[in-house]
Amino acid sequence: MKRALYVLLGLAVAAALWEGYKVVGNPEGTVLFGVRILPRADDLSMPHLWTVLERLGRPELTGGRPVWIVVAQACLFTLGITAAGFVIGALVGLLLAVAMERFRVVERGLLPYVILSQTVPLVALAPLVAGWGGTIMPPWAVVSVIAAYLAFFPVAVGMLRGLQSPSASGVELMRSYAAGWWRTLVKLRFPSALPYLFPALRLAGAAAVVGAVVGEISTGTRGGVGRLIIEYSREATSDPAKVYTAMLGAALLGLVVAGLVSLLELPLMRHRRHVEVATL
Amino acid sequence: MTAVVVSSVTKIFNQGRTDEVAALSDVDLEVRDGEFVSLIGPSGCGKSTLLRLIADLIEPSTGTVTVAGQGAAKARKEQAYGIAFQQAGLFEWRTVLRNVELPLELRGLSKRERKARAEQMLALVGLEDFAGHYPAQLSGGMQQRVAIARALAVQPPLLLMDEPFGALDEMTRERLQSELLGICAKTNTSTVFVTHSISEAVFLSDRVVVMSARPGRITASIEIDLPSRDDAGRQSPAYFDKITEVRQALRGTPASAPSPRSSESAAAGTDAR
Ligand SMILES: Nc1ncnc2c1ncn2[C@@H]1O[C@H](COP(=O)(O)OP(=O)(O)OP(=O)(O)O)[C@@H](O)[C@H]1O
Ligand SMILES: [Mg+2]
Repeated sequence: MKRALYVLLGLAVAAALWEGYKVVGNPEGTVLFGVRILPRADDLSMPHLWTVLERLGRPELTGGRPVWIVVAQACLFTLGITAAGFVIGALVGLLLAVAMERFRVVERGLLPYVILSQTVPLVALAPLVAGWGGTIMPPWAVVSVIAAYLAFFPVAVGMLRGLQSPSASGVELMRSYAAGWWRTLVKLRFPSALPYLFPALRLAGAAAVVGAVVGEISTGTRGGVGRLIIEYSREATSDPAKVYTAMLGAALLGLVVAGLVSLLELPLMRHRRHVEVATL
Repeated sequence: MTAVVVSSVTKIFNQGRTDEVAALSDVDLEVRDGEFVSLIGPSGCGKSTLLRLIADLIEPSTGTVTVAGQGAAKARKEQAYGIAFQQAGLFEWRTVLRNVELPLELRGLSKRERKARAEQMLALVGLEDFAGHYPAQLSGGMQQRVAIARALAVQPPLLLMDEPFGALDEMTRERLQSELLGICAKTNTSTVFVTHSISEAVFLSDRVVVMSARPGRITASIEIDLPSRDDAGRQSPAYFDKITEVRQALRGTPASAPSPRSSESAAAGTDAR
C-alpha cells in the first residue's frame, strides 16, 4: 500500500519536472560553446503531458482505433516477450550461479565471460541472433532470446554472491550433519541467497524490458511497443505527441514488470516481515 | 568402547606460509563411553580446534582421530555426534522451532515427530514461548540456548559443546548445567565440553583437561569425583579442592608436577584406570 503511494509520488515528481522544465527551459535549448547542454523545451520536442494524454484518446490514423488501445496491445505483446525472456534469463542465470558456486574452476573460467557478455553492444548482437535463430524460431522468440541475454547477467552475478554468502559456521554445521552438496544448497545456500536474488531479479526485469524493446527495434519485429516507437517517431514533426504515447507505454511496461517481480518476493521472504535483513 | 581417541595429533594452519599457526602440538586425549570431559585453557590455546578435529570439520596435520571406534570422517557421515558451536550459528530465515528441527529434518524424521521433539527440547532450555520467533528477535543468550536445543535434539551418543553457556546468566547457566547432566546420565552420552569457567568445568566433569597455548597442548588431566552433582556437591570440600587444583594447573605451577610435559604423561598414565 505504502509502496504504491511512493510509486504514484514518483510519477507526480517526474510529471512536475517535465512540465517545470517546459516553463523555465529555453525553447531553443541551452547551447554553450556550440554544444547543446540542455534539450529544447518547445512543444515539438517536449509536448505538454496533457497533449500526450489527449493524443492517447484520439484515433491512431483517421478513422482507426484510438491510440491507447494500439499502445496497450503493443505493450501486452512486448510484455509476453519480456516475460519469456525474463524466465529464460533467470533460469540460465540461476544455473550458471549454481555451477559457478559448485566448481571453482567454472567460476574462474566463466565469470570473466559472463561479464564480457554484457559489453557486446545489443544492436550488434540482435541481427546475429536474428540471423542464427530466425530460421528455427518465430520472430518474437528471437526477441525473447535477446531479452534473456540481458536478463541472465544480474541474476548470475547476484545469485553467485548470494550462494557464497553463508558464513563458514553455517557451512560447518551442515557438514557436521553429513549433508552433501545438494542438501547444503537446498537448506543453507539457497535460502541465504534469497536477499541477494530479489534485487537481482528486479534488475533482470528491467533489463528484459530494455532487451525486448531494443530487440524489437533492431530485428524489425512487428506488433510490439518497440516497433511502435519507431513508427511513431517518423511522424514526430507532424504529430510530436504520438511518439510519447508509445514511450509512456514502454515506461508503464517497465513499472508493471517491476511490480510483478516484487510480488514474487512476498511468499518467499516471510521472515522479512518480522525482522530486518541486511542485504548487499 | 572409547567414545573418542585423539592420538598424537598436531594441527598447523596455513602450513608453509608466512601466517603459519601451530594450533595444536602432539595432543593425546581419550574420552570413555559416557564420560564428561571438559577442556579448559587460555584463549587461543586450541580448544575449539581440538573440538573441530573430533567433529571432522578440519583434518589433523599429523596423528589420528577416532570416534566410536571408527575414523572421524566416517563417524561424521554417520552423524555420531551433535555439536554446538561457540557462536550460535542459527539460520535467520527459519523460526526458532524450525532451527531446532533442522538436524531432525536431515535425518528424515516425520514432520510430527520433528515438531514434538523440537518442542520438547525448547521447553528444556526454557524457550517454549519463542518457538515462532526468528533468531534476530532473540537475545544472544537465547540464541545460544536454541543452539543447545538443536545440538541435543538428535540425542547423539557424543556431544561436542564449545562454550555453550558462555553468554548466559548465572541462574540459567546452573539450571542448564543440571539439565545437561541429567540428559548425559540418562542416555549415557559422552561429552566434550569447552569452557572458560573453572567451577563449571569441575562441577560438570568426570575429568578436566587443562591446555596451554603456543603451541596448544594438554598440560594436565584432572579426574573429578564429586560426592554428588547438585547444590550439596557445589559446597563439598572435594569441589573446592578440585577448583584449586585446576586453577594451579592453569597457572602452570602445579605443586605435584615439575614440568608440563611430565604432568601430561602422568595424566595419560592415570587415564587408563
Ligand atoms: N581457520 C583457521 N585458520 C588459521 N588459524 C586458525 C584457524 N582457526 C584457529 N586458528 C588459530 O588456532 C589457534 C587456536 O584457535 P582456537 O579457536 O582453537 O582457540 P580457542 O582455544 O578455542 O580460543 P577461545 O577460548 O578464544 O575460543 C589460534 O591461534 C588461532 O589463531
Ligand atoms: Mg574457541
